[in-house]
Amino acid sequence: MSATGASGETRTTFSLAGFWRGMRASGPLGVSVFAYGIAFGLFAKSAQMSMAEALLMSGLVYSGSAQMAAVSAMGDGAIPSGMAAFAVVTTIILLNARYLLYGASLRGWLSQVSGPQAYATLAVLGDGNWALSMKRHAEGERDAGFVLGSGVIMFVPWLLGTAFGLLTAGAATNPRALGLDFMLVAFSTALAVGMFKGRTQMPVLLVAITASVIADRWLPSGWAVMSAGLSGGLAAWLLWKPEAGS
Amino acid sequence: MNVRPEFWLLLAVLAAASISCRFGGFWLMRFVRIGPRLDAALKATPVAVMVGIAAPAALHGAWPEWLALATVIIAMKWIRNDLVAAVAGVALLAGLRAL
Repeated sequence: MSATGASGETRTTFSLAGFWRGMRASGPLGVSVFAYGIAFGLFAKSAQMSMAEALLMSGLVYSGSAQMAAVSAMGDGAIPSGMAAFAVVTTIILLNARYLLYGASLRGWLSQVSGPQAYATLAVLGDGNWALSMKRHAEGERDAGFVLGSGVIMFVPWLLGTAFGLLTAGAATNPRALGLDFMLVAFSTALAVGMFKGRTQMPVLLVAITASVIADRWLPSGWAVMSAGLSGGLAAWLLWKPEAGS
Repeated sequence: MNVRPEFWLLLAVLAAASISCRFGGFWLMRFVRIGPRLDAALKATPVAVMVGIAAPAALHGAWPEWLALATVIIAMKWIRNDLVAAVAGVALLAGLRAL
């Protein structure tokens, strides 16, 4: 891919303005991530993790489902080793495999900024801000700062929530009562409606929905999203026709 | 600020697993020429992932979740603002769960 990018005219930038724009756009996601950080903090406390351990894990692993899986393997306060640790690592890779797709789909955009900028952006990437960024990119956003900003506004609340949950363990906080477990689902639905390109895209969506439902039912948790993305991409690859390419 | 010595090893392995997924897809695409077919596939991935997040949740949910999803879709078609639509759905769900 050349430096001018696939669509030609608009150059990719990486600016503070884009960073703020991203932060503002994904603020509500930050609120729900904060609530989930609290849930993880409470869980970490129940596994007798220290504040430093929980924060290190939230900062370096940064994946709610994967961290929950890791901590549930140390439920009695013992740190898994050997085969138990291997099982935890395998779970984390399966739960995070979708990030391979996210990164691949961001290649065209982030390859035009510096390596450190691109990898810093990937380090704080989450489901919600990736989806939001891809939609905005389709609408013409070319500032890669948007991706970083919309990621940071979720990453920082994740750390704050972790700390808050650990400190307040005992007091009840229930993200479910506030509907916050539904935030990513609602947001994804809204983005999908906004990105929907009409009838020609229907086969891709049906394939993705079918794959996610099958994976959700018969495969270990974490596979539904990956299956939907892979099968939807494969369907688009198979259905591609020269004249239909946009 | 105490970290148990054995925790460092576990953390290093877990972080390596997570970070290699985060960086791996982007890095590997260095070596792949993005032709029009692959471009179409990568462009279709976001919307496929989004419905892949929503469909199992709809399946696990009951009428409050379904109503919330319908609200999101209708709000999005009307207002064309993803955040407003998502928050409207979440607010409705919180209200329905409080009943």
